[in-house]
Amino acid sequence: MPIVEIDDLHKSFGPLEVLKGIHMEVVQGEVVTIIGRSGSGKSTLLRCINFLEQPTHGRVTVDGLSVLVEQHKLTKEQKHIVHEIRLRTGMVFQEFNLFPHLSVIENLIEAPVTVKRMKKREAIEIAEQYLHKVGMSDKRNEFPNRLSGGQKQRVAIARALTMQPKVMLFDEPTSALDPELIGEVLAVMGQLAKEGMTMLVVSHEMSFVHDVSHRVVFMEEGIIAEEGPPEQLFDNPQNPKTRMFLQRIIGEKEEAEVEG
Amino acid sequence: MAERVLSRTELVLRQQERQRYLFGVQVVVWWIIILGLLIFIFSGVTLTIGPITITTIDLDTEFMKTWAPYISWGVPITLYIAAFSIVFASILALASALARLSGIPPLVALSGFYVSLIRGTPLYLQIFFFFLALPQMGIQLPGRVAGITALSLNYGAYMSEIFRAGIESVSKGQREAAIALGMTHGQTMRRIVLPQALRLVLPPTGNEFIAMLKDSALVSATGFVQEIMWRSVKVGRANFRGLEALVIAAMWYWLMTIIFTALQARLERHMARGER
Repeated sequence: MPIVEIDDLHKSFGPLEVLKGIHMEVVQGEVVTIIGRSGSGKSTLLRCINFLEQPTHGRVTVDGLSVLVEQHKLTKEQKHIVHEIRLRTGMVFQEFNLFPHLSVIENLIEAPVTVKRMKKREAIEIAEQYLHKVGMSDKRNEFPNRLSGGQKQRVAIARALTMQPKVMLFDEPTSALDPELIGEVLAVMGQLAKEGMTMLVVSHEMSFVHDVSHRVVFMEEGIIAEEGPPEQLFDNPQNPKTRMFLQRIIGEKEEAEVEG
Repeated sequence: MAERVLSRTELVLRQQERQRYLFGVQVVVWWIIILGLLIFIFSGVTLTIGPITITTIDLDTEFMKTWAPYISWGVPITLYIAAFSIVFASILALASALARLSGIPPLVALSGFYVSLIRGTPLYLQIFFFFLALPQMGIQLPGRVAGITALSLNYGAYMSEIFRAGIESVSKGQREAAIALGMTHGQTMRRIVLPQALRLVLPPTGNEFIAMLKDSALVSATGFVQEIMWRSVKVGRANFRGLEALVIAAMWYWLMTIIFTALQARLERHMARGER
């Protein structure tokens, strides 16, 4: 049984339809990366899964919790399910969004303590495990403004993990980073994938997409244009749009390498 | 060669720094000269230089010595009124800002109405409303309570905009991160947005407090609150020594403003260091 299931998902911002009927299934332990040009709807798709954006229409199911959106306003019961879905999904943002008024450890235990009503001691114990996992134990008491971008993002990953989610959503986690800091974040994500975490990743890091993901989804103008295992999608794309997109990305990369 | 270029740059920088320093020194010296001039004007000295005779204002120092303690006892009362008023004003401003941002029509209207009404009428009138108009309706508030109420309501309306801007300046990403972690809107506001917003509004609130110190003088007009201004007007009138009494009051207000402005500047520097 898939852990994430998306059924005929539509999302419009006013007259602009960003998602035009998405179907998608992700099984436990699978790493799915979503690629596509900016504006193709990849981030919106990710944000519809935990209802940071409310879908206009369609069904989202996470870990057996299902919300079918048919009208603009969610029922009370549906809101409750959305809350449960959020507890079972962790999200990592492009801009990290660490809480600047809280130290690293406080960032991690904030939600477990206020949302899950966990004892502070217990929360700290769990948080420390994840800080160790992302290699940030020594920055435990620092404030976010003292960390580099890569360190911030690793803390943000640990923060999401401390809620012990079933699914992790990564929304362009390395796009705001200086090139030399991308590696450390990708390493943490790769490790997480190896440990069997279910992950949905929107990324432009083609090496990560190619090496880590089990399945690649290429989005174009609000629909899934093509999907498949990375080897197949990269080496033998069926859709001419996929081919064009990959050529452009690889071309840019080579250009950058030549310049660098 | 490279060494010479570097040292020349350094020389220019050092010279610029020196010029800035000298400029600062000059400003301070002129401050002292102007202050000296002001003191001279009130010194009572008659100066004759050749054909010109300069007569300065002769203050009744005996009166000032006698009544300075009495007027000075208004200082704690002024501070008391300003301190309480700024606390209540902040609470009102926060409530009004939250109502304004709530997206709930009656609350948005209530907040807008409050701000419009208060900003659309003079503070002086509002103070008298609580002293003169309320008793007519059978509500008699003690002098200080009425004064604090009027000042709080007035400043709350003006500070509402400061608080609103503070809340709005906390980035959308902060809310999204909290929501994605499963926090409710209330928890997000209380635990994530407000702590950051309040840090931002603390320095401007300090400014409002300094303004409040001086606006609290208006409360004296009602005749029921014995703060600095009330005391100085009272003894000034009784002894026909208005000038002397007001000079004492002015010195207190000025001194308090200087002290709190300095504290305020320190607070602002401290805040700037802590964030991001």
